[in-house]
Amino acid sequence: MLKYRMTSSLDGYMNRVTTVITGDGRTIVGLLKGFDQLINIILEDAHERVYSETAGVETVPLGLYIIRGDNVAIVGEVDEEIDKRIDLDNVKASPLAPIWIPG
Amino acid sequence: MVLPLSLLRTAQNHPMLVELKNGETYNGHLQACDTWMNVHLRDVIYTSKDGDKFYKIPEVYIRGSTIKYLRIPDTVVDLVKNEVNEVRRQQKDQQRSRKPMGRGGGPHRGGRGGSAAPRGGGRGRGK
Repeated sequence: MLKYRMTSSLDGYMNRVTTVITGDGRTIVGLLKGFDQLINIILEDAHERVYSETAGVETVPLGLYIIRGDNVAIVGEVDEEIDKRIDLDNVKASPLAPIWIPG
Repeated sequence: MVLPLSLLRTAQNHPMLVELKNGETYNGHLQACDTWMNVHLRDVIYTSKDGDKFYKIPEVYIRGSTIKYLRIPDTVVDLVKNEVNEVRRQQKDQQRSRKPMGRGGGPHRGGRGGSAAPRGGGRGRGK
């Protein structure tokens, strides 16, 4: 039996904490409230996680966001149990480079 | 589920921030939008990519394909649910008034009329 099933849509992520990595290399975490065929995405209570090599992760509150599908690189479901255990203040990591070469 | 473009439509007359793919941002009130995410904003403050230039612009029209994201007030998600329900209710009402009523259901139409007419009498769903 398959433990994980590949879904052909984001339906399974609805109203779950979801992370979106955007084309410009940002990481945005929020509740998935909706999406469409173009992967335009609605995130409620969104936060950006700003990574840095010299300081802990900075969490910037953004609120309600519509991210245009063109700008979405990766959508992932967050395991809230594991996520809660991460001490973001003490996580140091280099920020992601833009996924797409800025036009 | 809320569709992103329904949410945008509900956000009409609300303030919002639009960031373009080139990093410029436009703050203004949403006047109109369409299914391509083209947006018409009024009373706009433009901010350049590096945040060093600010311009006040009475109105702008932005092509949807140039948008990176939109930031809208938190309260708009709650409004959209009400709006969707309202539309569904109206559609239901329209259907109900178009379709002839089933046996015994709904207000008594035709016949002898008069307020004392028993509902669904005669051929109705009697015991």
